[in-house]
Amino acid sequence: MFSVKTILPTSTQSFSDDILSTHRRHQAELDAMDLDEDEFGAGPSKRNIVTPGEVITSSKEYMRGHGTYVEDVNVVSSVTGTIERVNKLISVKAIRSKYVPEVGDLVIGRIVEVGPQRWRVEANGRQDAVLMLSSVNLPGGVQRRKIESDALKMREFLAEGDLLVAEVQAFFGDGAMSLHTRSLKYGKLRNGQLLSVPPQLIRRLKSHFHHIPPPCGPTGVDVILGLNGYVWVSNGTSQEKREGGEGFDSEGVYSDKNDDIPPEGRQATSTITNLIKILADEGIPLTDTLIEESFNWINQNQLPLGSIAHNDAERMLAEIVGIDITA
Amino acid sequence: MSSSRIEILNDGGLRHDARRPYELRSTSFQLNTHPTAEGSSTVTQGLTTVQVSIFGPREPRQRSQASHDKAIINVEVGVVPWAQGGGGIKRVRGDKRLQEIGASIRQTFEPVIMTHLYPRSEITINVQVLSADGGILPTSINATTLALISSGISILDYITSISIGLYLKQPLLDLSFLEEQDLPNLIISCLTNSNKITLAQMETRLHIDRFEEMLNLGLEACKVLKIEMELIVKEQTEKIVERMNVKSIISSNASGMNIDE
Amino acid sequence: MVREVDPPSIQKDFLLAALAEGKRLDGRIPLEQRKIEFIFGDELGNVECRIGKTAVLAQVSASIVKPRDDRPYEGFLMINSEIGPMASSIYENGRSSDSEVLITRLLEKSIRRTEAIDREALCILAGEKVWQLRLTLHFLSDSGNLLDCASMASMIALKHFRKPDVEVIGDEVIIHSPEERAPVPLAIHHTPLCLTFAYFENLPPILDPTHLESTLCAGTLTVTMNAQREICVLSKAGGTPLSAEDIMGVVRVGVDQVREMVKIMDQALEKDRESRVIEVQ
Repeated sequence: MFSVKTILPTSTQSFSDDILSTHRRHQAELDAMDLDEDEFGAGPSKRNIVTPGEVITSSKEYMRGHGTYVEDVNVVSSVTGTIERVNKLISVKAIRSKYVPEVGDLVIGRIVEVGPQRWRVEANGRQDAVLMLSSVNLPGGVQRRKIESDALKMREFLAEGDLLVAEVQAFFGDGAMSLHTRSLKYGKLRNGQLLSVPPQLIRRLKSHFHHIPPPCGPTGVDVILGLNGYVWVSNGTSQEKREGGEGFDSEGVYSDKNDDIPPEGRQATSTITNLIKILADEGIPLTDTLIEESFNWINQNQLPLGSIAHNDAERMLAEIVGIDITA
Repeated sequence: MSSSRIEILNDGGLRHDARRPYELRSTSFQLNTHPTAEGSSTVTQGLTTVQVSIFGPREPRQRSQASHDKAIINVEVGVVPWAQGGGGIKRVRGDKRLQEIGASIRQTFEPVIMTHLYPRSEITINVQVLSADGGILPTSINATTLALISSGISILDYITSISIGLYLKQPLLDLSFLEEQDLPNLIISCLTNSNKITLAQMETRLHIDRFEEMLNLGLEACKVLKIEMELIVKEQTEKIVERMNVKSIISSNASGMNIDE
Repeated sequence: MVREVDPPSIQKDFLLAALAEGKRLDGRIPLEQRKIEFIFGDELGNVECRIGKTAVLAQVSASIVKPRDDRPYEGFLMINSEIGPMASSIYENGRSSDSEVLITRLLEKSIRRTEAIDREALCILAGEKVWQLRLTLHFLSDSGNLLDCASMASMIALKHFRKPDVEVIGDEVIIHSPEERAPVPLAIHHTPLCLTFAYFENLPPILDPTHLESTLCAGTLTVTMNAQREICVLSKAGGTPLSAEDIMGVVRVGVDQVREMVKIMDQALEKDRESRVIEVQ
């Protein structure tokens, strides 16, 4: 009764690979019907992928998890993604989604508002996060008591626009996350640049602070992979300085001034930034080993630092990750 | 009614652009066409192209607007100045027609987006009409569905939309601008699984007996569109899933430490 | 737009419980309209329409203007409608909210685009002089279902209105005052009237929702029909998804309802005509 014309729209040549012929439709219908109850979570097969409105299974036998809803007697997907099953719990993991925070997550955020006893932090979540004055370390030592004058000086510590790295401490009743920076690892960020990547590319790892050692710049490059998709790439510092050991400048924690960074350090930072961008653009999950390997690859091939040419990027992806983006 | 300048349906049963009455225009669906939006899509139906980008759920720009138990949905509709080509109505920002299209899109998607999952936040749907040749609203709705899917926001089902015209006693599907001008014109959008209509709009006089026929025809056309969309979505998803699994090849650190659940 | 305070949830529960038993808070059955009342003003074309406590005043006036170059035989019908804070505190002066845009657009579509008024009959002298009708709507009070009330007020005002008789001698146009010659009624093709239905989840639709009902409902459907069994405008945006049969169901209900409404309107007009002296002795 119907047919869909499959002629290329004249004005949109680039859409060519998205045009479909009608006969493939039947394949999709068959696949949908073949979804067997025994097959959830069975490898990266095509049947694992569902789109909104697709019936996954009966709600009598399974419980619904995230990304699903129950209609009549069926568990139905509400997002596009892969089915995941833990015993009787069926959930669908969306392939793309806004960052969903969990307690203990490491995030990078930006101060958007200084309020009474608290900062509001934009952290790529569905609501702004809150950083209470009581959950930060102030200059003068960990044990220092907060006095009234600190509340008046809040903007001196962190002002609107400042970037910081923090940990998710808890959630408020309305779902907003509460952050804390009560560790010497956390706090204000400087000496580097911010990158934003899709949050699902950053997995929960043992550590999110990575140090790429020289020859990547004179002092190496530090990378902080925030789980909210914000990545901080900065000029490297030594282990001790980072974690409050020898030479840790407790007064400089809230400093707004960048250190003197030699040109080589800046170049290394931007090289790492560009590498992360290339990997993220292709949807490859980021890990410290991957970033380090890609830098080594650049180094071994003696390519110029800084920006990376497109064909070099292609070659790198093919050799390191094993994917072909030319197709 | 008005005298038609074009022949709507010729003796051979073809329309002015050589389509048969029930034939849809060539369609193309593209996902993730906007670099920074959470979700985006570009949909082309014939010579009508619409790009939709979705921002959010995020902190509401006006905090007073926030609702404590659900997300609020904002829709902005814009038409680029060059969209109209030869014939068309000048549409500027803030125009009542555009406002109406925006309200229709918002009301269509409000019951479908699971807003209760995103309390105190806002979802902004930006609709940009890049070229217009009839059926702006149906194409915008189709594009919004795809953009929502690509954003990972929970929705109940695909919503597809189509316009249906009537020439004498012959219903026509997916009207072009010229046909839209001359024919009674019904726009419906529906949830394809349950076959239920979320939006129905008609602006011209029509006898009720014909109306039912057009309604049912539109529902079937919506299903066809859904199948096409689903194909694209699945294809794209497979690609992304494949990339996401690349990690197991190279990283020793990452494997085994995946504690998302 | 000012956000209205949500009604108390206990009121919502009560309303829904009553509806589930097929009862409404004001004692109507689900598909019953509130009482329609027309108050005719002193002038022709000035009518106030009331449905329950919702009131809209419509005023028609006519002036002579030059027609558009591309349509020399057609007169104009302009609809002015702006909902001010008088109707309800949720409306603001000068700024148009979404609901306001929908009301005015739907009115425009149902009256203007369906050609309810024969615009060619408004022509006096082709290319030179045509009548321009101005329909101004004043929204006096919003107690739900402004749209239906406004569409009824508009149509009855247009039917009530009479334009002065004109005489064309060569290029000269003489306008006769109502004292000289009886003014003539407008040529009206059909009477499109809006009917608004409200939906609640898993409940049958109700006709003519009150303010409370429309704030609590899951969606509305407005259908504009005439007595000739024609659908002029149908607008259902959002709300509970409906099947095709559901939609056809309300359309069928609408057919009879509109006939009934047209009858009421005609009776009211007839009654007014008896009390009014229009003809010149």
